[in-house]
Amino acid sequence: MTPRGVWLVARQEFRIRLRTGRWRWLLGAWVLVVGAITMLLDLSLETGYAFGTDVRARGVPLFGFLMLFVLGMVLVISPALTSQSVNGDRERGTLATLQVTRLGPLEITLGKLLAAWGVGLVALALTLPFAGYAVGQGGITAARVAAVYAVVAILIGVVCAVSQALSSLLARSITSAMLSYLAVAALSVGTLVMFGLVAPLITEQRTSTADGIPYTYEVTRVDRVWWMLAPNPFVVVADSAPHLPRRVTGSGDVVIIDDYDPLSAIGNEVRRTRIPPRDEPINYDGEDPLPAVWPYGLAFNVLLGIGAVAITATRLRTPSRRLARGVRIA
Amino acid sequence: MDSSDPSDLGIVVRDVWRHFGAVPALSGMSLSAPYGQVTALVGPNGAGKTTLLLVLASLLRPDRGEVRVAGLDPHHDPAGVRSRMGWMPDTFGLYEQLTVREYLRFFADAYRLGRAGQDDRVAELLTLIHLTEFAYQPVHVLSRGQKQRLALARALIHRPRVLLLDEPASGLDPRSRVELRDILRGLAADGAAVLVSSHILTELEEIADRIVLVSKGRTVGEHTMADLAAQAASRYRIRATDPAALATALGGQGVPVQHSANGAGTEVGPLTEDQAADLLAGLVHSGVRVVAFEPLGSNLESVYLEMTEERR
Repeated sequence: MTPRGVWLVARQEFRIRLRTGRWRWLLGAWVLVVGAITMLLDLSLETGYAFGTDVRARGVPLFGFLMLFVLGMVLVISPALTSQSVNGDRERGTLATLQVTRLGPLEITLGKLLAAWGVGLVALALTLPFAGYAVGQGGITAARVAAVYAVVAILIGVVCAVSQALSSLLARSITSAMLSYLAVAALSVGTLVMFGLVAPLITEQRTSTADGIPYTYEVTRVDRVWWMLAPNPFVVVADSAPHLPRRVTGSGDVVIIDDYDPLSAIGNEVRRTRIPPRDEPINYDGEDPLPAVWPYGLAFNVLLGIGAVAITATRLRTPSRRLARGVRIA
Repeated sequence: MDSSDPSDLGIVVRDVWRHFGAVPALSGMSLSAPYGQVTALVGPNGAGKTTLLLVLASLLRPDRGEVRVAGLDPHHDPAGVRSRMGWMPDTFGLYEQLTVREYLRFFADAYRLGRAGQDDRVAELLTLIHLTEFAYQPVHVLSRGQKQRLALARALIHRPRVLLLDEPASGLDPRSRVELRDILRGLAADGAAVLVSSHILTELEEIADRIVLVSKGRTVGEHTMADLAAQAASRYRIRATDPAALATALGGQGVPVQHSANGAGTEVGPLTEDQAADLLAGLVHSGVRVVAFEPLGSNLESVYLEMTEERR
């Protein structure tokens, strides 16, 4: 495996992608959609959230909602970028001609992945002006912008890698595309559904006393299943966003400005699931930090991506011993 | 089968087996292809030709059996085999969006040819396949014959010593076929071992030096073209100035007469070349004035039919 080989395949794939399909139109439509959403969000926040002389910064919710929307959209786009990566080339007969050259299976896998990921990153980069506009509305730090974009960029790569692996495992690109979308749905919706459905299984009875009279109550031990939420891409992005410094105003009586922050709201909600229920109330708002969830989620997703790359590379290794049913090697 | 020195053989296949699920594709196939010659791999559809070429092209692993391409085992040294072997599949597998030149340059890179000689090599190949004027045209504007030649150029880009072509002549017009013949003869003359598959024997009649006949995953015959022609029994049509004298003479020679005397002449046979020569000499000797003595149909076609018939 050489970087030169990877680059050669990536450049080739990118060139072919550029010449097929109507990229200019698609990317133009993408920019229009993101722009329209930014404008509508901004308008609704202007009238409903920070009206008139309110000191709250519109940038915080604007950036948060915009990034959640962008994440949702790239999760929809990314599977399509690689869902034909391997089985489409098999159908066209262009894969085998590549495999008989000096290019190795990992070079072909990574090259194709990089090209698809690159397209995803271009789409992501096109949202930067709108994020910039949100930053201009105040309250957002450069660190948060950088972190959110970095995590979304990684997740695009993970989804592309998973979709590519499915494309190497299944003979028909329509099947692999559908399964890639199911995988994305499992990550972003399935995790939430599962988390909700296991609740009865982790509910236990507890006994306590009030004024000397014992009574029983039910506790749902979500702290045992918090990890189910961790792989969710929305959780990873929201929870990994660095906290914003508290903004304070006033001179005598200190006033803390409570910007509505959708990313931190999701993050804190998920982090709270890690705290075992206690009989005595605890102070969530204090300085004691809630335990982070995103490192686990991000690690899970990165490992998923690496595993997917390994599967694809194995499937591209030749001379091959076995073929999936219906796979034509040439 | 082939008694020549193994180092003269570009391809050696010994007792190779390969199943796809319950379906046998190769059932103990054996063959060899010497350097400097064009070997034809001929058999009906489903005889295992494409599977064998995939094994030789280092894409598919046989269940068992010995395979050597340019002296190397594709399983243990795929990189070594790939740098010495060129493969053209029956589906050409071209990138339609690239220009002809871009396409060849990409594969020059993929075969790790140095940047220095690349332009020269691409220009040389474009001349060989008569596509120089299409160098800057996208691949999708090419005709079928032109695409096929481009696929051939791709297989040749790294100057392989062993060349594998799957059904290269199918769907080609007669002129393209002649051009293909000239290119392959040239490569063999330069010392390459060329293996060409086809299910139509006569397609390869003028291209091949040797013929390997396969059927149902097995080799049913390995012959030089010259041997085949000599062995081949074919019918002959004879015309003489005096048909009655011819009929009498044929009766005297004890030759099976198929059907006699319409205007076109008398058909006899099947006869081998030796028998035919003897018959002609006999007829002339007995004073029959022979004006035409011609073989009917292709010799090879009848050999092919005979060989595949035996195995049914």
